[in-house]
Amino acid sequence: MGNDKIINEGSQPEVEKLHRILRNLLIIIISILVTLSLIIFILFIVPVLQETTSGHKTEITNNQELKRDASYKKKISLMTSDIQRLSRKYSAYTSGQSYIVINTTGNRFSLYKNKKLIREGFCSTGKLTMLKTERGDKVWVFKTPKGKHWIHGKITNPSWTRPDWSFIEEGLPVPAKDDPSRYESGVLGDYAMSMGDGYLIHGTIYKRFLGMPVTHGCVRLNDEDLEVVYNTLSIGSKVYIF
Amino acid sequence: METENKAGTSGGKKILIVLIIIFSAFIIYYTIMSMMSPARKLSAINNEFRVKPAENTLVDERIFSDSAYLKLLKEKAFLQSRIVMAETDSIYLTINLTDSTANIEISGVVVHKAKMSSVQTSKILIKGDENIILSMLSSPFTISNAYATIRKEPVLIKMAPKDTTEYKPDIMPDTSITEPVNYILEMTNGTRIYVYQEEKEKFSDRMDLFIFNIKDRLRDTKSFLKSVALLKVPEYHPFIKIRLPRADAKIIYRAIPRYGQVGIYR
Repeated sequence: MGNDKIINEGSQPEVEKLHRILRNLLIIIISILVTLSLIIFILFIVPVLQETTSGHKTEITNNQELKRDASYKKKISLMTSDIQRLSRKYSAYTSGQSYIVINTTGNRFSLYKNKKLIREGFCSTGKLTMLKTERGDKVWVFKTPKGKHWIHGKITNPSWTRPDWSFIEEGLPVPAKDDPSRYESGVLGDYAMSMGDGYLIHGTIYKRFLGMPVTHGCVRLNDEDLEVVYNTLSIGSKVYIF
Repeated sequence: METENKAGTSGGKKILIVLIIIFSAFIIYYTIMSMMSPARKLSAINNEFRVKPAENTLVDERIFSDSAYLKLLKEKAFLQSRIVMAETDSIYLTINLTDSTANIEISGVVVHKAKMSSVQTSKILIKGDENIILSMLSSPFTISNAYATIRKEPVLIKMAPKDTTEYKPDIMPDTSITEPVNYILEMTNGTRIYVYQEEKEKFSDRMDLFIFNIKDRLRDTKSFLKSVALLKVPEYHPFIKIRLPRADAKIIYRAIPRYGQVGIYR
């Protein structure tokens, strides 16, 4: 009996303690749930509620009586001629001449003649590298320039005049401007087409890299594609690079 | 002692009740202000683009809701917008919500076509007055900001070697990398174009998209809370959400200039 009493007296504060712990735990759980609900409400429910806002939607009609009206006919005819004029203007932007499209992300080209696709395939474009000298006084960015360009010149059996960066990139001393080591033949393929600012469309000896961004800004094609492109494009033909 | 405890508990309860009331009031206030924002934006669009008919032309008002007239107006608005963009000589994006295509164009020439697998448009772009919305779409939108999971121009910096012993040839680029492509193009007029990659085959793709969306929602909530705290109606951003194949989404993001233009046909 005496032992029972001792046990009962000792368990009462423990029960209370347990109650307190449970109550605190419950408060913490409720607080977490409220916070989570609030976050969900603000982040997800409010944007949904915003989309329930109604506006004044135009009720589209098809009134036959209106269609017989002279002023209606006049307005529609004016609008139609406006659209025709704008369409003609827009179509005129697409050259009837041959042009080439270069995709620098996918490294693919598409050749068009009379607004029709005549050939497509892989190419190599700029490798998106910035070459810096140790002193940081010279910087070159090797990327193919995006936008609208045109063919400035066409060359057969081109030879490459190595610019300064091609020596610096390999850790070689830069030779004089007319040094014979600057001239390399056979590396650009049989043809080259200039797009201005030193950028060319040319062939390559590194055919396994076609479809990859590996060049210093020029566009490289394989021999067969290069020949077709060379024969299709003339000086002034557009080159669209994106 | 017991009385003190009771007084303490009732004081705590009072504070809790006051906090709950303040908190609930803020939530209600925040919700009301947030729900007011689309209406405010719609009203701003209406004021800016309302078509005022010339006083000397007696045009029947019913023409503005006529299906044939609206169809022509859509064509005209899109052409006008494309011509403005074509004249800039820059690369631009055209989104046709009717035939679900997104094209890259340069000077009027379509250089890349992509098919959208899904399109979701903000209600105010659908429920608004057709004439006003078409008037807004007759000018191109200009990108003012972008948030993306990929870099616009991933330029690698390489230091020139001192001599030939330091020279290392370039490593062949890994074209198999399939990083998730999701981005938001924010326009100067507040409209946002969300571009998500179609592919969700990997768990990491879903996770990346979830994190990307949460970041966007947090950015919005931050600016909303800021406005609400200043007793201002927060700015609502009308949106167009599109899904594209990953490769197309990447090509488009990398092609269009940082502050490029977008034409929309709906």
